Amino acid sequence: MKLDLATALSNKLALIGGCITAFVALAVIFGPWLSPYSPTEPDFLALLAPPSLSHPLGTDSFGRDVLTRILYGARISFAVSITGVLVAAILGVTIGMMSAWRGGLWSSLAMRFCDLLFSFPSFVLALFMMVVLGYGIMNIAIAISLIYMPIFARLSRNMALLVKDEPYVQAAVLIGQPTSSILLREILPNIAAPVFVQVALGVAFGIVIEAGLSFLGLGVQPPNPSLGTIMADGREYFQRAPWVLTLTGMVVSVALLGLNLLSDGLRDVMDPKLRARL
Amino acid sequence: MDGVISLLRRAAQGAGAVLLLALLGAAAVFFAMRAGHGDPALAVLGDQATTEAIEAFRQRWKLNDPLLLQFWRWLAGALTGDFGASMVIATGEPIIRLIASRLPNTLFIGVYALTLAVLISLIAGTISALRHGKLIDSTSTSLAVLGISMPDFWLSYVLIYALALGLGIFPSYGFTAPSTSLTGALYSGFLPALAIAAPMAAAFTRILRTALLETLFRDHVRVARSLGHSETFIFLHHVFRNGLIPYVTVIGLQVRYLLGGTVVVERIFGINGLGSLMVDAAFARDYPLVQACALVFLVCVLLVNFGIDLVCARLDPRRA
Repeated sequence: MKLDLATALSNKLALIGGCITAFVALAVIFGPWLSPYSPTEPDFLALLAPPSLSHPLGTDSFGRDVLTRILYGARISFAVSITGVLVAAILGVTIGMMSAWRGGLWSSLAMRFCDLLFSFPSFVLALFMMVVLGYGIMNIAIAISLIYMPIFARLSRNMALLVKDEPYVQAAVLIGQPTSSILLREILPNIAAPVFVQVALGVAFGIVIEAGLSFLGLGVQPPNPSLGTIMADGREYFQRAPWVLTLTGMVVSVALLGLNLLSDGLRDVMDPKLRARL
Repeated sequence: MDGVISLLRRAAQGAGAVLLLALLGAAAVFFAMRAGHGDPALAVLGDQATTEAIEAFRQRWKLNDPLLLQFWRWLAGALTGDFGASMVIATGEPIIRLIASRLPNTLFIGVYALTLAVLISLIAGTISALRHGKLIDSTSTSLAVLGISMPDFWLSYVLIYALALGLGIFPSYGFTAPSTSLTGALYSGFLPALAIAAPMAAAFTRILRTALLETLFRDHVRVARSLGHSETFIFLHHVFRNGLIPYVTVIGLQVRYLLGGTVVVERIFGINGLGSLMVDAAFARDYPLVQACALVFLVCVLLVNFGIDLVCARLDPRRA
């Protein structure tokens, strides 16, 4: 189950996915500084310009450069998704490990709560949370974390149940290590790899949730760009300028593709049995 | 006989769990809504409402009663199918009537999408597994990764652009209810169902391929082969049946994404379904309606998963 950089890179899928993800990450971090355009300032001389050398992905109905808006918007989308998924991972893994280790009333209640969250259609839960909490960037992150928490809780509970009877864990119990240190030092490192894979998948999924909410107008509010609001703008003049919506979606798909390939590759690395037989 | 009894016992346990989770869900939905930032009085009367008007509104909708009493009243009503009345969208209209008119469309699109996804994945997954490592396998595996990476609402527009606006084969907007015309519903529902189905099909194909490949190399399959059974027989009886177990399990896990997907896609294609009703209710801050929609969606997922669980128990006697 151990995962190190060298073996991970030896897997083709993981390598390609990692490269795409790294490229997207660099573009999102540094892209906005490199762009000569502003993401919000209108340019009325270049309304709905089709893709060209000066505007690689065209402009929108305010003459704003679509690529620049995507780069800025992706910052918000990624930030929201990563925050949500990390919170989900921390809470979910804690609940899962506790419930596998001790059981007990609180952790089993927490697991039931996760079961309940897991039974809501994902986007319905997101929508419901936006009504309860109000529209806003922070609240999207909360919705994403609630959607994804049960997945982490179940995953880490199952993994921890497998690990908990290993001799090194028993040894740690016998020499009197405190529970917190057993969970953090003995169990957590041994379930970290699949959790990490799930984080990569989760970030991809969170981006879709954010984009979906903002697309409907219930998420990030304009004029702030996010991947969803750019596509929502594009929907309004889809027939006249289809590139705004289609190209933005394509960029999103490439980012998701990178994350999906990365997690696929990492999963293959962790489960070499099937690979070896094929 | 033993099999039937254990299946019945499992069904009873499952039904109990569905009921418990539905009750918990009702409580969670109700109290989350009350703890939320929104005030139904302000949503209906506007932010400029006078205190007297707000007070009268709260009296009329019995919002001043103790929370537990309100919850009990709502729950008792919900159990008999009475969710109260819509406050904003269709003032005074019983929510159950709104839901009853919308739910069939959503279920239709959901079942349609699920059928498409299952059909595509059964074919693609089986071919991939039997021809693993060949060109057709790598093509379908790559397509599957692509499929998973496309958000359904974006795919909707790509389909509209290509098949509706471009080739003009399918309508780009509007939906004929299945109660009006089944063929019309199948035709006008094809693009939305496909948009939801494509990512599902991709996920299902991947799991079926892996599951079949894992079974292909098991000992019991080797034994069957050494006994001289034909490859078709072995595949159908020994490989496929075992491979179906994880496949059906994953279908159960994906149902929540499938129903979630209907929300945005219904909105894009102008389908009068439960999802678009919930979005309208969310925009209008029609709190009781949002609450009821969330609960109905929850119950749908619980019931489907209950059914899937029974199918799994039937497929895999060890689990029963």
